[in-house]
Amino acid sequence: MTSLIARLAAGSDARVFAIAGAGSRAAVQDLRLADGVELVDSPRAADVLLVAGALDPRHHDAVRRVHDALPHPRASVRWAGSRDVLVPGAAHVALGTDPSSAIRAAHQALMHGTMPTEPPLLPDEDPAPWRGVGPYGQGGSGMTGGTPYGRPMAELAPDRDGLRLDLLPTRLGPFSSLLPHGLELDLRVSGDILVGVEVAATGLAASATSASLFIRALTEPVSIAELEIGRARDHLRWTADALRLQGLRALSLRALRLGLHAAPGDHRAVERLAADIARTGIYRWSLPAADGARTELLAGARLGPSTRASGVGEDERQADPAYRSLGFAPLLGAGGGAAAAWRLRLAEAVRSLELAGRGGDTRSAVTGAVESPRGRLALGDAPSGRALGLLPTLIEGMEWGDAMATIAALDIDLDELGAVTAGTSAEAAA
Amino acid sequence: MSVALDAALGVAAVGGMLAVGSLALAFADEAAAAAVAGAPLRPRRLLVAPFRRAASALLTATTTTERPDGGGRALAPALLAGLAALAMSMLPLAPGVVPADPSTGFVVFSAAVAFVMIAVFLHGWSPNSTLPLHGAYRFGAVALSFQIPFLLAMLATALPAQSLSLVRIVEAQAPLWNVIREPLGLPIYLIVGLAVGLWGPLNLPDADDLAGGTSAEDSGLARWLWEAARTSMLVAVAALGSAAFLGGYLGPLLPGPVWVALKTALLLAVMAVARHALARARIERFVEVAWVLLVPLALLNVFVSGAFLL
Repeated sequence: MTSLIARLAAGSDARVFAIAGAGSRAAVQDLRLADGVELVDSPRAADVLLVAGALDPRHHDAVRRVHDALPHPRASVRWAGSRDVLVPGAAHVALGTDPSSAIRAAHQALMHGTMPTEPPLLPDEDPAPWRGVGPYGQGGSGMTGGTPYGRPMAELAPDRDGLRLDLLPTRLGPFSSLLPHGLELDLRVSGDILVGVEVAATGLAASATSASLFIRALTEPVSIAELEIGRARDHLRWTADALRLQGLRALSLRALRLGLHAAPGDHRAVERLAADIARTGIYRWSLPAADGARTELLAGARLGPSTRASGVGEDERQADPAYRSLGFAPLLGAGGGAAAAWRLRLAEAVRSLELAGRGGDTRSAVTGAVESPRGRLALGDAPSGRALGLLPTLIEGMEWGDAMATIAALDIDLDELGAVTAGTSAEAAA
Repeated sequence: MSVALDAALGVAAVGGMLAVGSLALAFADEAAAAAVAGAPLRPRRLLVAPFRRAASALLTATTTTERPDGGGRALAPALLAGLAALAMSMLPLAPGVVPADPSTGFVVFSAAVAFVMIAVFLHGWSPNSTLPLHGAYRFGAVALSFQIPFLLAMLATALPAQSLSLVRIVEAQAPLWNVIREPLGLPIYLIVGLAVGLWGPLNLPDADDLAGGTSAEDSGLARWLWEAARTSMLVAVAALGSAAFLGGYLGPLLPGPVWVALKTALLLAVMAVARHALARARIERFVEVAWVLLVPLALLNVFVSGAFLL
């Protein structure tokens, strides 16, 4: 009986919580398509911890906390360029090779009991002595309001809707499934409304580099076909993540599969995907409505699709004679808001694939500033940096789900940010 | 002795129906997901997947959080599964065959649906953690909004039967099924059913934008039990929906229980497709639609249903 259960369990998908360090975001995303591996949103649901990419020492404690949140029996896989001792005992897989067989092997060994579970990396003790009163604690002296000893406690908040509500301070990140990994937000939640938002830390590794096409295009001419295919794939990858956040997992896999190999001939397939997404009712039922003041903020921030969604024709490609010779004109949305940005990204993916098909050997003619999938990119100035600056103003006052959809719509890429502002992100965090 | 035997048979029947229904839902869900994702369906893998998942849950430890309400955490999935079983126990399977037939079956079923709010809130509140708590609050808003449309939609089925007994409600559909007599009833009922089962477009408390919401802190067997309780609730909603709107065991040629199974499977398939084809509603939008649109429509449904009796 025991061996039957072990055999059955070993055949189940390995459930993986992945920490996507610097330079590993797309590779981790691709694991969603791997056989026998399921990426989960909470470490509590995982059998295996995958720690991918480069991580600064300032994140090591957070990695250890995530590790210790996995239930026994657990195992870890370190997916990085070089071996390190971040998670002792973790199997090492070189970044660039497929880790799914190592993940499956670890999961099977755990279920058969042939591999011991990993002990905790941090002491399992309260960060400070518990001073609450009664079985559930709250209410003792020094235990109300703020975050005494690292524990968020409710505090009194001003009236909302004529009700006095508790205000809950909470920290989201750095490895939350809701945010790009490396981003930490300090939130104050009143009921379901975010009444206070601060960016606590950003960035994964101070020495971040990026192999992105768009960063290469800052210093040398790059084939327009290549750039536009890259843009379409980026937009589809974003769509896959955003669909997942909205609970449409099957459509998300379809978008990801398309984003992995999208080529100029695929523009019809992207159009069909866009039509199917519209048919789910997502634009009417799921995404927050456009809001004048917020749209205004995004309109002036050169944030690519988020800006163009409000009808502002801001696009660096217009300044490039090579693009003009191909008859490029930016696509524009109307009214702004998350739904308009979604539609525009999908429309741009289609347009980019068409442009790539016409591009031939043409190379970009302007360097120094380019239009990345996220907006105007220049050395020392990444769109994600501007987006992070706007983020607190954008989501303050929003309901939780609207705020998460708005953050997703900004498409924050900390790798791109780190690569063009090397060094400064670490300072910002310190 | 025979009372004890009857009770044991009844419990086994209800448990068996929930288990078979849950498996059917898992298959329908995978099939719908594969169709939407454009991925191949692998039937053999599909058939063993639920058993594999259960085995791996058995071998995985249940974690705890800082200062949880341990009793509440243990109780929540049991309460939800118990409510599903309570509802299921009143499902008429054939003329004269029903595990339990209280004269007020309608009220018992409605009470079970109302109590789902307690189970979900308890599940989100007891881990003493932010995201689960947030999911719990969300379900409070959802549940308060769906109670009235649900009750009204069900009430319209009791009118032609002139009885609160679910057996009588099925019998009264012999001339005409309620899905035709009161066409608004079933859609309203199904919308509420999605919310009661925390499923797809109305899975707000356990949503992806809360990293799993009320179950974000669950692991191992506790996580599996909650998932099983949720699907059981959905199966119970589908089964009673088939009785209240699709005529239950009524149908030509095939024996009654087969008709019940087919009609329940149909509603489960609708729910499986809804999960992958419809986006999750914003909570504000759902609350607004429930009060402004569903309540008046459900009232209209009651009036129409009543007019048939004049």
